[in-house]
Amino acid sequence: MLFNSLQFFIFLPVVTLLFYLLPFRFRWILIFVASCYFYMALIPKYILLLFFIILVDYISALTIEQTRGKLKTFFLVFSIASNLGLLCFFKYYNFFDSNLESLFRHLHLSYERIPLQLILPIGLSFHTFQSMSYTIEVYRGNQKAERHLGYFANYVLFFPQMVAGPIERYSSLGNELKKNNTPLYENFSNGLRLILFGLFIKMTIADNIAPVVNQVYENPSQFNSIDILSVIFLFSFQIYADFYGYSTIAIGCARLLGVNIMDNFKTPYLSRSISEFWQRWHISLSSWFRDYLYIPLGGNKVKIPRFIFNVLVVFTISGFWHGASWTFIIWGFLHGFFFLLEKLIGIYFSSSKKSESWFLNGILTFKTFLIVSLIWVFFRAENLEKVKSIFYALIHNKSVAGEQLHYGYAWIMAIVLLFSDYLFFNSRFDKSMVGSPSFLRWAFYTIILFGLLTMSGVEQYPFIYFQF
Amino acid sequence: MNRKLFLKVIVLILILVSINEIYHFTLFKTDLQRHCPMTMQLDVARENADVVYFAESSNYSYAESDSDKRSISEFTAQYFPGLKFIAIDTGAVHAGIYKKWLSYLGQKSKAQLIIVTLNLRSFNASWIHSELETALQKSIVLLENRPELVNRFFLSLKVFDNKNTKEREQDFLTRWKTDLIEFPFPFKYKTVRQWDSTIGTDGIKNEKGEWDIKKTDLTAHYVKSYAFTLRENNPRIQDFDEIVKWCKSSNKKLVFNLLSENLDYADSLVGNELCWLIKNNRDFLVNRYRNMGVIVADNLEAVRGIDFIDQNWTTEHYVERGRKSVAKNLADSIKKIFPEKFNSSN
Repeated sequence: MLFNSLQFFIFLPVVTLLFYLLPFRFRWILIFVASCYFYMALIPKYILLLFFIILVDYISALTIEQTRGKLKTFFLVFSIASNLGLLCFFKYYNFFDSNLESLFRHLHLSYERIPLQLILPIGLSFHTFQSMSYTIEVYRGNQKAERHLGYFANYVLFFPQMVAGPIERYSSLGNELKKNNTPLYENFSNGLRLILFGLFIKMTIADNIAPVVNQVYENPSQFNSIDILSVIFLFSFQIYADFYGYSTIAIGCARLLGVNIMDNFKTPYLSRSISEFWQRWHISLSSWFRDYLYIPLGGNKVKIPRFIFNVLVVFTISGFWHGASWTFIIWGFLHGFFFLLEKLIGIYFSSSKKSESWFLNGILTFKTFLIVSLIWVFFRAENLEKVKSIFYALIHNKSVAGEQLHYGYAWIMAIVLLFSDYLFFNSRFDKSMVGSPSFLRWAFYTIILFGLLTMSGVEQYPFIYFQF
Repeated sequence: MNRKLFLKVIVLILILVSINEIYHFTLFKTDLQRHCPMTMQLDVARENADVVYFAESSNYSYAESDSDKRSISEFTAQYFPGLKFIAIDTGAVHAGIYKKWLSYLGQKSKAQLIIVTLNLRSFNASWIHSELETALQKSIVLLENRPELVNRFFLSLKVFDNKNTKEREQDFLTRWKTDLIEFPFPFKYKTVRQWDSTIGTDGIKNEKGEWDIKKTDLTAHYVKSYAFTLRENNPRIQDFDEIVKWCKSSNKKLVFNLLSENLDYADSLVGNELCWLIKNNRDFLVNRYRNMGVIVADNLEAVRGIDFIDQNWTTEHYVERGRKSVAKNLADSIKKIFPEKFNSSN
């Protein structure tokens, strides 16, 4: 089910109402059924994959807790292998298959491809990573294994964040789901504020930028350098608004049920360096990679060559996590590369040394935005050929554009997004509203409602991160 | 607390009502022009037209070789120099869309006569479940009888018959498999699927006895386009019924212009049985709507096979001679309503 659908606007109030009407001991059943229904509205049969993940990790965690030595490690490996195996099969099989064929052809060896018609289950990368974090934490002894299968299932399935995160840890979401919440006015008002704001960001901002970006990416050779550059920047705003909007709605929905989930974004485009950007963009994924890959590899407490290796591996795998394509791998690698470059160049680009000069801060912020935007081209383009044609069209200015591009409206939307980031810098819409005078709050609601109800995009653009 | 909450709800309602009003006076017209472009023509027709002619591409399609490329409505208008005709036409539309256009035109419009094309093919399963339907449905969301703000938001939420191509294809394939075709005589095929698969298996042979792929495709296409038995539960019938009701309640005269189909080719490619079905469906429509007091201009057999523009497909696109024949026939029907305005010298 999509957040931006009438179906969801009926589903959410019904679930919220039932949640508070039901006695506490039955609420987990409601969350379970509602989450299954939410997921099955997309592709019903794939719910079986989620049940598989839930069962494997539930049993593995219980066994890990009760055993020691090799058996304990075996069940951790079993859990990770099952999750990654599932992910690899559905997401990466065809990628490996086609690349093996290329490799064999290069070596003048024969290789028979067996391409499979696989549809990637929505949000599989999110479920598997969330579920894996649980078994790893149980293995490390930081988390007690959950005895109640229903609660564990709800941790993996919880509908507000099941398809595109934030990727939560059991220590936080698991406990939140066990709370006996009473209906609080504060939860409702904050939840509704976030849903309203999230819908506005997604439907009014992202969906109005999307058509312009799509037009250029379909046929870049038809546009001049200004158009291409404009669209490179606009895509940065589109993907941010799309994912930030989704995450904000997810937090709002959870809040209605009294459940707190983590923030996934903190004004990322106001970052002064790539390392700061990754502390502000898709925070739940960055922290997952930090805790379960970067630190186990040694983190930064190693010699420089190993540190470089660690950073590049983590960023490259993070890119590959997004999609089974060389474009994503390069996207991740480039982030790692610029991260290291900034570290090596030194203190002027380090986010830890804050400058008081607004001018220098502005330059650094723009520099980061420029790098991130240029790297987004790899993320957005379907293949490397498209990346090449975008950069070719950017460099070789076509004096007369073949197609008309009307990006004025899209830019207005991008500026609105930047302005909202500036207003809610290091805060969140609901938190900022709480302390404001009521006339100011209502003025905000009116403007956002007007934008949402009368200016939202009219084409069908699913949330970009649903594909991961 | 309750009083405060109540106050907030009231404020919210007031805000929504105000936004609706602001939207009406600011962005609504632009949205209409963008998402429902026909409304611009309908606005003009509301104030200026005596006769509004609703049609699909049959009205304006012409052959490059035509010396006079005017449309059917323009040829018809020639017979009534005292009446202002305005055509509201675009490709692939049907009665479900016409009825929304009519309602937007409004009961208080100047128009005295409404002409609606009655296209036999628009009753078939593949047109009803055509992939173009999603775009058509989207184009009328803003015309629904709801507050404009709700319509605008529903447009964004895709609250309309919003199926993808695959789903629509599945719909008509199911209908071809399950909808029974009725004949008063014994006939070996009961459904489009059965009929079509036999054509696909046996093929159509040329003079040399070889499989003629083009002819086989065309024959199958004729079957898919015309092999159905019209019944009251056909959604198009319900749409046309609503048009009749609307015109009666608005005190507008109504003429249905039943379009010509290529019976010559249907006969030569498929055979008598298909022609019988087409004529039987024509009779069903003519009788049904004449009984409701509607004038039906029956053009089914008015255009010869060679006067169709598309010789390798089923359309209602006619060359100049064909358009003139339909226009003449239609004018004769309109003459019953405006005898004093008819000018035969044209």
